[in-house]
Parts: sequence; C-alpha cells; structure tokens
Amino acid sequence: MTINPKNLTAQLHFRAAGNPPTTMPETAISNSYPGLEFDFRNIWRRLFVGIELHESDNYVVRGFGKHRNLVGHRLLIVAGDPTVTAVVGPQMPGGSSGQLSDATMLEWSNSMARVLHRHAGRMVKCEFTANIEPQPVPIPDNRRGLLSLQLRVRPIFASSKTTRGALPVIEQSLVEPGELTQSLCSPWQNDYRECACYYWAASRPDYVNVDLNERGVTTGNNWLAKNRDPKEYVPDDFADSRLIGYEDLFQNWQALLQFVVEGKDYSPGDKSD
Amino acid sequence: MTIRELRILPPLAIARLGASDLPVDNYEVEVDTTDPLGYRRLRPAETFQIDDHSGEIKASYVPTVLRFMDNDKVRPVAPFLEVWALSGRGQLEPLTVEVLRSHRLSPADVKWRVHVANYKVYRRTGNLSDRLDAKVGPISDHRPRELSGKCPNFWSGKRLPLGWVRYIKPNTAFPAIRLRFTPAHGYVYGASKALPGRVGTRIDPNLKEVLYNANKGRWLGFVEAGDTTSTNPPFIYANNAVGDSFVSRGYMDDECDGIVWVELKVGRQLLSAYARIGAGPPAYAPDSFPVRSVADELDQAMFGPLVRQGDSSLAAVEEILRRAVETVRLMNTTVMNGNPVNGLVNSANTMASQDTGDTSRYFEPIMSTSIVDNHALITLHQSVLTALRAGSAPWFADLLRNYDEVGDLSSKGRRKMPALMRGADGRYLALTRRQVDLIRQVARLPILQGDPAIALTETKAHSRGKRK
Repeated sequence: MTINPKNLTAQLHFRAAGNPPTTMPETAISNSYPGLEFDFRNIWRRLFVGIELHESDNYVVRGFGKHRNLVGHRLLIVAGDPTVTAVVGPQMPGGSSGQLSDATMLEWSNSMARVLHRHAGRMVKCEFTANIEPQPVPIPDNRRGLLSLQLRVRPIFASSKTTRGALPVIEQSLVEPGELTQSLCSPWQNDYRECACYYWAASRPDYVNVDLNERGVTTGNNWLAKNRDPKEYVPDDFADSRLIGYEDLFQNWQALLQFVVEGKDYSPGDKSD
Repeated sequence: MTIRELRILPPLAIARLGASDLPVDNYEVEVDTTDPLGYRRLRPAETFQIDDHSGEIKASYVPTVLRFMDNDKVRPVAPFLEVWALSGRGQLEPLTVEVLRSHRLSPADVKWRVHVANYKVYRRTGNLSDRLDAKVGPISDHRPRELSGKCPNFWSGKRLPLGWVRYIKPNTAFPAIRLRFTPAHGYVYGASKALPGRVGTRIDPNLKEVLYNANKGRWLGFVEAGDTTSTNPPFIYANNAVGDSFVSRGYMDDECDGIVWVELKVGRQLLSAYARIGAGPPAYAPDSFPVRSVADELDQAMFGPLVRQGDSSLAAVEEILRRAVETVRLMNTTVMNGNPVNGLVNSANTMASQDTGDTSRYFEPIMSTSIVDNHALITLHQSVLTALRAGSAPWFADLLRNYDEVGDLSSKGRRKMPALMRGADGRYLALTRRQVDLIRQVARLPILQGDPAIALTETKAHSRGKRK
C-alpha cells in the first residue's frame, strides 16, 4: 500500500490497522464549548506571531517583544474579516428585532478560515481596539481610531522540508502538550452532569430507548436516568435523585453510564451481537 | 527504496479512557444503503492481539461479539500509530523491518519519545508549578512505558498515571513499525492540606488517590475569577458553591494530550516525525458521529472555507445529513426546543433558556411546539434526503445557518440548521463554512435529468477552474 505524499486528505483521515473508528477525529466533537476529547479552539491562540489570544475570545492575553503593549486589547478585524458580530432579536413577545448585545465572538475556526487559507505564512493587517477592553466591544463605525498592525499568520499545519508542502499534523509550536485539553472540564466527569445534551448528543446521548407510543409521539429514557423503568424522560436537573449525579460519576461512571447502539442500551448477547 | 522522510499516521489519534485491561476490539461502522438515515451497523473487524511478554502482535482475529465493557469496567480505546516512509519513488510506504534492513538498519534503530500533559489546573490557576507532565524516551525496545505524570505541586513521590506507550515489536507476520498508546483508567484524583494517608484524615470516596499538596498550590479552594482570561464557559471544575463563588474541590482527572516523536538515522541524515495524541472519555454511541467534528475543523484549516467543485459530492452531503440525524435521534428535541414539560415552562437547560439567560430576550420555544417530536424531525430529515437525491432541494441551502449569523436570535434565525445545539462560541451552532459550502453546491444543483450524480458531474465540467 502506498499514499501519495501530497494526498493530505488520505493522511488526515488515515485509520491505522487495528484502530477502532473512535480513534478518529471524525468521532471527536468540535462544537467545543469546551469539548470532550479536545477543546479544539486552542489551536487558534497562536495564529498570529507576536501575540497570544484567548481560545474563545478576541482578547489578547499575551504579547511578545514589541507587541507586549497589546495585552488587554481586542482583535476586531483581520484582513477585513470581523471577529465579532452583534446579537439581535426581539426583547418582548411579538416585538420587532433589535440589538440584544452589541458584540459576541465568532468562533475562530470559521471567522479566520479565509484569513488562514489566503494568508498563512504572510503578513496581514490586524486591527485592534485602541484601548484595553475587558468587555467585548463592537467594531466602531469610524475605524480610524483602531490600532492597525501587520502580523504574520502562522500556518496551522507543519510543513515538509522534503516536499516543501504541508504535512497533515498540527504545527508543534501552535499547541504544546497539554494545551489541547487544558480548558476542558476538570475532571471531565463533572461535565457529563454540568452540560446538557444539546452540546454533543452523538457522543454523550440524551434520549435513549426511544419508542413511538400509542399517540404517535416518542417516549424514552434520559440517558442519565438511574432506572430505565418506567420508560419516561426525566428532565435534566442535578438535584433530581432519579438521575446520575456528580458523586455517582466521580465514583462509578464506568458501571453507571451505558453504551448506546441503535438508540438502545447496548447489552451484547441480544440481537446486536 | 531510499527513505527521504518519515511521517506518523494517523497524525492525530484519539484514545478513550477505561479501567479494563482489555482494549476495545476493532470494528467497522457501516451505512445500510437501503436505509441511509437508519442506524449504522457495527461489524467486528480484524483486531491485534498483543503478547504481553514480548510486545509483538502474536495473532489477529475478528471477534464474534463486540463488547465495550469488561464487567463493570470500560474497555479503553488504545490506538496504534504507524511510521510511514517517503521513498525515492515519491510515495509514502509503511516503514517495515524489510525497509529498515534494506538500509542496514533494524527496529532497534528506531527511537520514540513521548510527552503528554494535563494542564487543566494550570489553565485555571496560571501557576507553572500546577503543570502535570509525563515524558518517556528515547525508546528502542518493546517494554511498556508508563506515562507517569509529575507535578511540582504534588506531595513528594506522588505521580498521576496518564497511560502507557509501547513500541510494538515487529515480526514476520506484522512487520510494520508502530507504537501503541493506551490511555489511563479514568479515575479522579484530589488535593489535601494534610499528608495523605495520615491517621484521622477524611477519605473522600470520589477519589482514587490524593496527590496534590494544597499547602504548595492553590487548586484546593481556588475560585476562578470569571473574567476575560478565564475559560469559556467559566467555573467548569468540580466545585462547591459558596455564595456567588465556585470553590474548587481540588479534583483532577487523567485525561491528557501530547506529542509522539519518532527518529531514525539513515546514513548521515537524522529523520524525524511527530504525531499528536489525546485521551478523552468514551464515545458512548459508537454508531453515531457528531454533525461537526474535529475532522471537519482539520479539513477547513487545511483546504479552506470553500470546496472546489470537483471535490463536492452528494455522498459527502448525505454523510453530513446522516450525522445530523444521529444527533437529533439522541436528543429529546421536545425538551430541547423549550416546550413545557409536565406543566413546567423553561424546565431544562436548553438553547431557548440560554437565549434568555445570556441576553434579555424573552423566553420562547425555538420551533412550533407541535412539530418537534424526535420522530417528526427524523422524518423531516428523510424528506431532505429524498429532495437532495431528486435534485430538488435548493430551499435546503437557505435553511443553513451561516457562521456569522450565530447572533441572530430572531424567530427565523433561531430556526436555522443545525437547530437546538450550541456552538464553540456559545451561541447557536453553525457548521463549518466548508461544510455549508459543500451542502449548498449540491443542494443548488439544477433540477434535471434524473440522477443528481450525473448533474454534479456536468456542473463540475462547466465550472472547472472558476473556484479555488
């Protein structure tokens, strides 16, 4: 078997012999808030040479050399692409849509996708707030007051000295060991109780053993229910003793949490075998 | 063959925690072509059996039954990492004993190093002495090496086990050069001010062991500021609420991430490569995949936000739709929509409740409360699939949330797809721009000519070279 070294798709999605599918990045969630396997937002913190950004915010947490004075400033625009947007919607029932918040962060992965693709390895115009801004701020109508600098964009991937092309591995200087998981919950078991299913239902199920009832609507168990009988959905509530709680997870998560296959609690020996 | 460069594949391997001594067997996840949005089938696949003593693969087998548990213990997922060599022919080939021999080298000339770390405590406290690191290597033999985590703020002699690595001994039947990473057991560790084990000290039943010396570091009793430098979301650590403060219980886990390096001296040239590894919790629904995954992030970072016309396909769009169904199917969408439950309004933590909590938007369910039953939404996705296959789904493209529309909490904005879920910015989930572009390219194909695969080919032919 051979792989063309320029076929980066094949290498990024390579599955080694003997490895189950759950070793693959395809099985790791990335709507990271903060995540389960990784907080993947961490790969963006050092995107620009000379500064370090918060993993989920346009706030400069560190500056190096001549950029030390940028700590506390906010990066608002890169090569014309904004890093923030406004939150809009109705405040009252039936009301018209208005501004609810003037600035919320756009996640780096999407807001910087074009910047990375067009400018990796090159200098790019970065526009920062003129002042230290502890709270999120919108892009001002008059941009003349912004601090404008040229910063180099770090490539996300390492490069080959032999082929001169990209390698499929994340550049070493971008994230050190420990940094892809550092902003996850400590311990992770806490997050299975803390965060609701709408983050990562495909990895941490919510609604299991689901059947259609006589009214033609579904009924099933909350995955965290200690007992599956009766088949009823107990809404998420850390104080409800019918659900697995924090202490249960810390002490005995392995015995309590059930694998789910075909939507049902998985017990080898039944038809799933 | 001349070795010009080394690479480790996969470049990012995920291990999953579990206390059993038996790693999960290998399996395949297969789509039923007659029911493309149905459950994927798990089929046991070729699994390597490692000889504990020698460290070689003594046999491979296909298990008859797929088991994720070993009595009350979870079976860990322990990935292999293979070394590949860029040959003089310009192709990547597995590095094997034979390839090494052709360069007058042996497996003992291969050297591995590993550095994994858990910086969760350091990320909160900012104290360098709270960093937990485990380093091993260089390794050229085939004994297992424990990744024993050291932290300056631990009690003297205490270590936190982060798993093991083993250079698998190649043999005639399995000659490839590979390393296996076995993650830790998934235990919780703690902190104390009193010397652990001292008579009279309270034993916390949540903990495997007390490791952290709370006289040296601040983790026990630490209160995150919740300011601009805190994690987002903040306060995500085991804590006791005291007034408005979230006081750390001093807990730590045995997750980690890090780097594996391999080195080989070929003639006068020292070749090296590295890959990344991480250890997280089990994937509890192994026949389901997240609608937006780390693989999607990597694809976008590598290839950009737009898909070249030649790279789009109906099959790729169907896979995204399938993953969306797999998320919907495991969510109580009625509750997540914000419908009243047992007469209670705003009864659970949902995006609807976040909209109210994060902004001053009044509380209201996201979709009409009568159409959000799980079964109805799966049927809706089935209709989308049918329309995509018939080439009659341009409307679907407009239902997708753009990445810069996450702050749109209007009724229409909240109903865009993916619905009811949270993204990395804390607001409504948007797919990657690359995923959205892929779907739009396929969904907006002209209605024609029967088979959309044909239509796609024709569109490619017409538009080749227009996009980059």
